[in-house]
Amino acid sequence: MRFKDLQFLLVLIFLFTGCREPFEPEIENVQGGVLVVEGYLESNGLESVLSISRTAPISGVESFIPELGALVSLISDSGQLFKLTELKDGEYLFQQDIPENQSYRLEILLRNGEKYYSDPITPIITPEILDAGYIRDEEGVEVYVNTQGNEVADDFLWTYEETWIFRPVIRTPYIYRNDTKEVELRKEEEQIDLCYKSETNPDLLLETSSRFEDQVVFRQTITEIPQDDERLMERYSILISQKSIPQEAVEFWETLKRNTDDIGSIFSPLPSVISGNLHLEGDEDQPVVGYISLGVIKQTRIYINQKDVLPWAFNDPEFDDCSISIEPIYIGSPQYFSDFGTGAVLPARELMEGTTIVAYYSSTRRCSDCTLYANRGKPDFWED
Amino acid sequence: MKIHLLTFLFFISFSAVSFSQNQDQPKINGFFPGISLERFFEQVEENTPYRFYYKKQEISSVTVNLQASDSKLSDLLDAVFQGTDFHYSVGADNSVFISKGKKLQVSLSDDFFSNVENAGSGSSGQVDDAFVRNNRFIIGQSSPDKKTAILSGTISSLENQEIITGAIVFEKIDFTRTISDREGKFSIELPVGRHTIYIQNLGGYIEQRLIDLRGDGVLDMAIGESIYSLSEVVVNSGSINQISRPEMGVQTLTVSEMKKLPAILGEVDVLKGILVLPGVNTVGEASVGFNVRGGASDQNLVLFENSTLFNPSHLFGFFSAINADMIESVELMKAGIPANYGGRLSSVLQMKPKFGRTDKIGGSGGIGLLTSRLSLEGPIGEKTTFIAGGRTTYSDWVLDYLEDNADFNASRASFYDLNLNVRHMFSEKDILEFTGYYSQDQFQFDPDTVYSYQNQNYALKWTHYFNDQLEASFSAGKDKYDFQIKGEDNPLNSYEFGFGLDQNFVKAEFRQEKGFQHVIRYGVHLNHITLNPGLITPYGAESIVIRDEVEQESALETSIFISDEFEINDKWFVSGGIRYNLYNYFGPQTTFVYPEGQPTTNENVIGEKTSREGEIIKTYYGPEFRFSGRYSLNNQSSIKAGVNSMRQNMHLLSNSSVISPTDTWKLSDEFIAPQTGIQYSLGYFRNMAQNQLEFSTEVYYRSMRNLLDYRSGATIILNDDVEQDVLNTNGKAYGVEFFLKKSAGRLNGSVSYTYARSLYQTNSSEQKEQINGGTEYPSNFDQPHHAVLVMNYEVSKRFNATFSGNYSTGRPITLPVSKFVYAGSERVYYSDRNEQRVPDYFRLDFSINLEGNHKVNKLAHSSWSMGVYNVLGRSNPYSIYYTPEDGALRGYQLSIFAEPIPFVTYNFRF
Repeated sequence: MRFKDLQFLLVLIFLFTGCREPFEPEIENVQGGVLVVEGYLESNGLESVLSISRTAPISGVESFIPELGALVSLISDSGQLFKLTELKDGEYLFQQDIPENQSYRLEILLRNGEKYYSDPITPIITPEILDAGYIRDEEGVEVYVNTQGNEVADDFLWTYEETWIFRPVIRTPYIYRNDTKEVELRKEEEQIDLCYKSETNPDLLLETSSRFEDQVVFRQTITEIPQDDERLMERYSILISQKSIPQEAVEFWETLKRNTDDIGSIFSPLPSVISGNLHLEGDEDQPVVGYISLGVIKQTRIYINQKDVLPWAFNDPEFDDCSISIEPIYIGSPQYFSDFGTGAVLPARELMEGTTIVAYYSSTRRCSDCTLYANRGKPDFWED
Repeated sequence: MKIHLLTFLFFISFSAVSFSQNQDQPKINGFFPGISLERFFEQVEENTPYRFYYKKQEISSVTVNLQASDSKLSDLLDAVFQGTDFHYSVGADNSVFISKGKKLQVSLSDDFFSNVENAGSGSSGQVDDAFVRNNRFIIGQSSPDKKTAILSGTISSLENQEIITGAIVFEKIDFTRTISDREGKFSIELPVGRHTIYIQNLGGYIEQRLIDLRGDGVLDMAIGESIYSLSEVVVNSGSINQISRPEMGVQTLTVSEMKKLPAILGEVDVLKGILVLPGVNTVGEASVGFNVRGGASDQNLVLFENSTLFNPSHLFGFFSAINADMIESVELMKAGIPANYGGRLSSVLQMKPKFGRTDKIGGSGGIGLLTSRLSLEGPIGEKTTFIAGGRTTYSDWVLDYLEDNADFNASRASFYDLNLNVRHMFSEKDILEFTGYYSQDQFQFDPDTVYSYQNQNYALKWTHYFNDQLEASFSAGKDKYDFQIKGEDNPLNSYEFGFGLDQNFVKAEFRQEKGFQHVIRYGVHLNHITLNPGLITPYGAESIVIRDEVEQESALETSIFISDEFEINDKWFVSGGIRYNLYNYFGPQTTFVYPEGQPTTNENVIGEKTSREGEIIKTYYGPEFRFSGRYSLNNQSSIKAGVNSMRQNMHLLSNSSVISPTDTWKLSDEFIAPQTGIQYSLGYFRNMAQNQLEFSTEVYYRSMRNLLDYRSGATIILNDDVEQDVLNTNGKAYGVEFFLKKSAGRLNGSVSYTYARSLYQTNSSEQKEQINGGTEYPSNFDQPHHAVLVMNYEVSKRFNATFSGNYSTGRPITLPVSKFVYAGSERVYYSDRNEQRVPDYFRLDFSINLEGNHKVNKLAHSSWSMGVYNVLGRSNPYSIYYTPEDGALRGYQLSIFAEPIPFVTYNFRF
């Protein structure tokens, strides 16, 4: 809600000859940063990845500092040991079919000799997503899932990835070849009018099924797409991951979620320290970020087409100035070579005299090239 | 009330002669800058009937350097001849005789004036000034076996006949002294015989009376209150008071003292003025919210007479809500809070309203760069006086001007406030007083969103004097506070949001004297609070905003109190009180039900419960104790100790460290218990250099329970279930305060230093979240070192300069210290709660006040005040925030007044 946004004070401050200066507090950097471990290890033999990194300085550009060369293993109560193999960039592969009726401990031995261990973890098999769909209402489109918890799987965490078709304002089939100085039709791999945009959303959605009758979580909102949003300009897809997490993990995820929602302005909620279920052996007070879970993740993907949610008119004011030129550029004219040669101006429509193309109406690249904003290749999973 | 009792006594003991004599005495006006005495006499002779007789050669070395405004000749001559060997005598026909070495005897023998003395029962000292000064009053009947006798009486002002509280009555040989009480009464025991009695009205002028004390008797005295300065304010808690009163931690600042402080943008600010006192600080430069001895800003009871101000600020805290022209003095009670006050944990800030002059219609006002004010006061008929005032701002032009240098437009801010105080005297025994206050604030930062709030306070107070010993006051009133946001950026989303608070109170207070040693106070205080925590409604026909309302809350606070001040002997003075508070929280209300012993989290909700209207949902009750005692070491120093326990039934929900207008209130309910606190304090008070220097030091320790801190990411606006977001927190605070004040002399001012800590700790029984792992952490306003220096130098009576400095440790904040990637996104890693601090705060200000000339016949008395705020132009950080920039989070500190801010205000009085 708008009024929650109390940034106006900041605005006020500027008013009164306020002044803004860079602030660099002398923060005692935890040596090498705090260890961050993330992973939901699949217990059913499917591939899953554990990532180990360090927190990075706040003002740096890099935010992911991988921890390389760690020895990671999962040890069961009965003493069985399952090793993880290092992939790259702090990622460690886990691919084991492990008995789900046991309790496990994750152990991480770093190159510097520090040894981290987790609290006992019991695998939780996430119940199926019963249904995923969307509701069209006045405010836009709401994507939801239905699921049902059980005695072991009570708390749920949903995350999602979104992908959608992105189109430029002006589509052009033509390409100017700098070598031949001719305009041709674009080949399949050169097309710039169909792209796919993907985003992993930082949203973390948490719910406890035991709040509801029969532990049925009905119409859990995953995301709300506001009316006329870009994502539904043509076709939209969302991959929803549903994970069961133990009750103790809820606090970790909630803190992570709350700490993400603000960036520390004076009126924002007070953040708090995040920890998890990992500890440094010998120095249990040392903070470690991460909550490792074991179990089976359930995923589902749904698609939504713009024509199913009409009226839906995406319009980006940034491209309001885009239009096809009124004056044609004649083939062979000085302008033809200079404009098209730079690549900033593209031939968009042809001007015919009889059956011959004599000139092209032009468009600018920023209005016509979707690859400036998204990726051209169709993702592997994409279904048309 | 006290004033009128005095006036009453005054009439009884007083002969009418003195009135006319006072009225007829010629007054002297003018500015005499270093002229010769002879020239001075010539000028006085020109304008008055006085005729001077002197030896030219004797007085040639004397020069006169003063400012007279309706001054009496005797006062001027006293000042001129101070420290010299000259004497003067005034004869009946306005002849003035100047002599060197020996005083000429022009007054008549004692016996001659037996008509004005009523031996044994009452002598009047309130006759012509020159006369009373030199006449020796014979007091009482002599009896051979009596060695000492008690002289008593009342002290009132010569100018307006109002009683004077806190005036010191003393004699200079044994330094026996006493102070006039709240009703202007004094009583002093002296050896039988001749004495010179001196009367000093603090901050005023010393008067003297000659007496021949033969037995117990009464001498009422009217003294000049202000001779030289344009001081308008009665100082009611002064240096001797500080030594002799049993309470500690009580500090008074008069409006005239505040006027000398450099103000932001030229506006005298009542609340900013108290920040020079030790133990009081603020977290932000432009926040009126202040913190007293490690308490939160909502723990201060801000009273305008009996009315509670819920938002004591204008324009987001740049100005305080009450017009300084409308009040007489401000008293801050940090400890030693009397039992008749209650409802807040930390302090009571009592603003005493002004009630208009009795002599004629007059007024005052000021014109500044951003604000202007005007007030009018005077009598209506014989029994009624009034004062009415208003203030308004025209700051938009400044905003427009500043906008040229900034990226926003359509910023608007405005406020106004209105005051009306009326006093009506039905008789000497019955006085009715009305105080009314209304303020309106409105501001916006873009064209579409308008914020506004209103304070409304009305109160009536009837004071009745049963007899000399017993008085009672009955008051009733209404305090209202409303806040609104109107958002119209898009017709579909247009909304109106608001919350409000409505408080109705009734109070009865009795004050009873038992002999000379006891003052007993008792009474009852009822307070009904209705709170609308939040309502959002669609605005306009097209809006699709869904109406949402947090259920209204209501509660009744009932308090009874009794206290006794007991002056055991010269050394010991104790006061004790008890206040019993009963709090009922009423339905209708629908609340969640949580399992017994389980944390009140959303996950644990097992049902809903609805209460009927008027049903008592929850009751809290408990006693509050107030004890303090004084032990006099000698006439100049004393030791005091006190214990105070307090309860607070309402909480300000503020998920940030400064008061912002969107902070909402919450009444204690079945999940949130009243805050309680206890404070222990010990102090040493000493006056030095003939009371010109006051020194005090106090140490204190406070512990507090049921404070509210917030879970990470707590929501406070439109939250139906606040219990899910707040954490039961314990607090403790301790500190030591030093204060040195020089109140007299050309160079005056004060220095204060405080070392204080304020620490919070999540209650170990709190299951929702333990902040910082359940360890102690600094509160949002923990600023260990705080020092304030104020220096005022009177270059001349018309020109004074003030310099002030302010230093404090930066307040604690929680900062992002590093970042990491988790669940596919960049996340921020925060330090422990309040582990970091913003940089220290340091500011120097300078101002000068220029008084216009003091000719009596001119249209208005005027003065200019101008100066520079933040002379050094230091950027004191107000806020720290982080913002993503080129893929990295970058920290910025914001300062409000990062440059020297000059200001100028023209003030006038007529």
